[in-house]
Amino acid sequence: MEKKSSLIRELERVASLEYKDIGSHLLGDRIPIGFFCPYVPEELIHAAGALPFRLMGPPARMSHVQAHLPPNCCHLVKSSLEIFLRGELDFLKGIIFSHTCDTMQGLSDIWAFQKRLPFQFNLMMPTNVNSETSRPYWKAEIERFKGFIEKNIGEVTPQNLTTAIQLFNRIRKNIREIYQFRRTLPEELTGADFANIIRAQYLMDRNQYQFLLSELLELLSHQKKKEGHLVPLYLAGNMVHSAPYFSLIEEAGGTVVSDDLCSGARFLRLMTREDIDPIEALTQRYLSSFLCPTKHGGSNDHIETLIREVEEAGATGVIFLFYKYCESHYFDYPDLKTALETKSIPSLLLEVDDPATSQGQLKIRIQAFVGMLSPI
Amino acid sequence: MVEKELQNNPYRKIDSTSAYRRLMTAYYFMVKHPAWFGKKVAWITSGGPVEPLYAMGVLPFYPENYGAMCGASRMSPSLCEAAEQKGYSHDLCSYALTDIGSFFTGKGPIGRLPKPDFLVCGNNICGTVIKWYEIQARALRVPLFFLDTPFFHDELHQHNLRYVEKQMGEYIAFLEDQMKRPFLEKRFKKVASRSFEAISLWREILDLSRNQPAPFAAFDAFIHMAPIVTLRGTRWAVRYYQKLKRELEERVKKGLGAFAREEIRLVWDNIPIWYDIRNLSKLLSSNGAVLVADTYTSAWAMEEPDLTYSLDGLARAYATIHLNRGLGYKMQKIATLIEKFGAHGFIMHSNRSCKPYSLGQYDMRREVTRLTGKPGLIIEADHTDSRSYSPQQVEKQILIFLDIIRNKQQGST
Ligand code: SF4
Ligand code: SF4
Repeated sequence: MEKKSSLIRELERVASLEYKDIGSHLLGDRIPIGFFCPYVPEELIHAAGALPFRLMGPPARMSHVQAHLPPNCCHLVKSSLEIFLRGELDFLKGIIFSHTCDTMQGLSDIWAFQKRLPFQFNLMMPTNVNSETSRPYWKAEIERFKGFIEKNIGEVTPQNLTTAIQLFNRIRKNIREIYQFRRTLPEELTGADFANIIRAQYLMDRNQYQFLLSELLELLSHQKKKEGHLVPLYLAGNMVHSAPYFSLIEEAGGTVVSDDLCSGARFLRLMTREDIDPIEALTQRYLSSFLCPTKHGGSNDHIETLIREVEEAGATGVIFLFYKYCESHYFDYPDLKTALETKSIPSLLLEVDDPATSQGQLKIRIQAFVGMLSPI
Repeated sequence: MVEKELQNNPYRKIDSTSAYRRLMTAYYFMVKHPAWFGKKVAWITSGGPVEPLYAMGVLPFYPENYGAMCGASRMSPSLCEAAEQKGYSHDLCSYALTDIGSFFTGKGPIGRLPKPDFLVCGNNICGTVIKWYEIQARALRVPLFFLDTPFFHDELHQHNLRYVEKQMGEYIAFLEDQMKRPFLEKRFKKVASRSFEAISLWREILDLSRNQPAPFAAFDAFIHMAPIVTLRGTRWAVRYYQKLKRELEERVKKGLGAFAREEIRLVWDNIPIWYDIRNLSKLLSSNGAVLVADTYTSAWAMEEPDLTYSLDGLARAYATIHLNRGLGYKMQKIATLIEKFGAHGFIMHSNRSCKPYSLGQYDMRREVTRLTGKPGLIIEADHTDSRSYSPQQVEKQILIFLDIIRNKQQGST
C-alpha cells in the first residue's frame, strides 16, 4: 500500500507543479513543445525526441492579459496567455496550436505576435469531419506538420513513429483500466488522485509516465472489488481535470464513473491503428469518432455520443462543467440537456473559471444535485 | 445638445435610399412567401457562397442580416432573452441568440422567419455559425450543407485550397439533390458575373469616399450593404448599385460630402453597433468627424475577383475573405484603409459577442498606430444586444478621442 501511495504522490507532485517551476523540475533531455488540444498528434512530437507539454489552464492571477484580450474569454485561454506574457513559459522551445474554436484561433495570432518563443505552428484540423474530402486534406496537413517538426526538432523515422504510437496506445489502454478501477473501487483511488493521474500525463516524459502508470495498475489489480455506494456520475465539459472539482463531487457522495472531458476520456477515443501506415492511422483516428463540439460530424453527433456514453457508464446523472465563455459547449448545452431529460437523466450545469477560485459556489449546488440522485 | 449641434453639420440624405427600401421590401416579401414565386428558401451565412443558390433558383435568407435588422430596430434584447430562457448562454453571439429567440417566439421585424428547405453554412466568418446552424438543422429538421474553409493565419497552402475546391463540388451535388435538377454551368457563370459586377460596384462606391469630403459615410455603407450581402448575384443588386454609384459620383463632382462639415476622417473596425448607429453618427458629425471607411462593409469588396467565373475561383474567393485571415492581414488592412482614405484615426468596436472580429484588437490598435502614426480608440459594445452597452461612457471616450486628434492636427499645422 505504501508503494501505491508513493506512486500516487509522485504523480500528484508533477500535476501540482507550477509551470514556472516545471522547467527545472521535470525535463530530461527532451525539449518541451507546448500544445493545447488532443487534435495535436503528440506521437509525432514524441517521435522526434521532444516532449509534448500540454497547457491545461493553471490557476493564475491575471495582471498582463488584460492588455491583449477582452475579459470574455475562457480561463484556459486567459491563463495560458497570462503565464506566457509573464515569461513563465519561456522554457518551451515551441508551441503548436490546432484549429478548434474562435477564441483559440484568436489566441494563436496574439501569441505569435508577441514573438517570444522560437517557433509556432498552426495545425489546421478540418472542422468538417463528416466529409469524404476532409481525409486527404487532413492527411496533407499532418504531413506538413511532420515536415515542420523535422525541420525544427528532429527527424521522425517510421520506426520512431510506430514506437511512439504504440507507447501512446499503451497509455490509453492503461488509463482506460484506471477508469474501470474507478468504477469498481472508487474508494481506493479518490477523485483527486484520479484527476492528478490524468493531469500528470500531459506534463511529463511519456515513457516515465507509462512506467508509473503500469506500476500503479499492477498494485490496483490485487485489490478486491467492492460494492460502491457513491452516486455514479458522468462529467462533461472542457479541460477541467483539476483535483478540487473531483473532490467536491466525492464529498457530496458522488463519483465520476466516466467523462467527456477534453483532458480525460476523449483522449481514449484517439486509439491509433498499429497495422497501417502511421500517418494514415493518425489521420483516420480523428475522423472516426466524435471528439469535441468545435467539429462538425453531423447535427446530432454530440447528442448521440453523450447519451450512448452516459448509458454505457451506468451514470445516473450528468454534470456539465463548462468554462465560462466556452461558446462551443454552451451552444450545444440546451439540446444535450433536453436529450438527457427524454431519457430521464437529470443534469446540472456548472460554470467555472479559475479552478482555484470558483469552488465555494459550486459546493452547495453539487451537494444538492447528488443529494437528489442518492437512493433514499 | 447633440441634435442642436447637428444642425450646424447637416447630413445629406441619399436619394437612392427609397429605391433601397423598395428593393429590400421586395426581397423580404419574396423570401417570406417563396411558394407564391415557386421558390425554395435556404438559410445561409453571410460568408457562404450564395451564387450557386441563385443559379439553382433558390432564395437565400440571411439570419445575420436579419439579426442586424433586429438590432437596428432594438428588438434584439427581448429576442436574446427568449433564447436565454431556453438555456442558451447570454455570452453567445447575439446574432445567433436573436435568431434562435425569433425562431422560438415567432417575433421580429418581419414576424415569423421564413422556413428554410435547407441550410448552407460556411465557417469562413467564425465557428459560431457551425453550432448555430446545427441547432437550427435539428430544430427545423432540414438538411445542412457545411462548407469548411480552414482559417489561414499566414499562408494559404495548396492542399487547403484544394480542400475548399473539392467541397464546392460537394455543394453542387448537395444542391442538385435538394432541387432534383442539374446544376447548369451557364446559369452559374451568369450569376457569378453579376455577383462580381455588384462586388466591383460596391468597391467603387466605397472607394468614392477617398474623396474629401467623403460622399458616403460608413454609417451609410452599413445600411446600403444589405443588397451586397443578400442579393449578390442578382440583376437587382447590380442595378441598385449602379444607381447609388451615379448619385454619389454626382456628389463628388459637386464636392459634396455626406455631411456638410468634415474635419476629422475616421476608420471603423468591426460590425456596427446596430442599435446605436444613429446616435453615434450624430455624436461624431456634430463634432465634425466622419467615418469614411470600415473593415466590415469592405469585406464584400473583393480586390481581385476571378473573372473566369469558375467554381474554383469561387472557392478561392470564399476561402480568403477578411474574417478568415490572420491578425497580420487584418492589421495591414486597417493601416491601408487609413492611408488610402486619408484618415486621422480609427475606432475599434470591441464586440463582446463576436470573437473572430474582436480578439487581437488590443495588439492591433498598438501596431496600426505604430505603422500609421494615427491614434486608435477601442469602445466596448455588442453588435445587436444593447443590454451591456453603456452609451454615456462611449460618448465620453469618443469626445476625448476627438480632442486628441484635434490637438494633434493643431500641433502639426
Ligand atoms: S473550446 Fe472552449 S474551453 Fe476550449 S479554448 Fe475554446 S472557448 Fe476555451
Ligand atoms: S460570431 Fe461574429 S462573425 Fe460569427 S455570426 Fe456572430 S457576429 Fe457574425
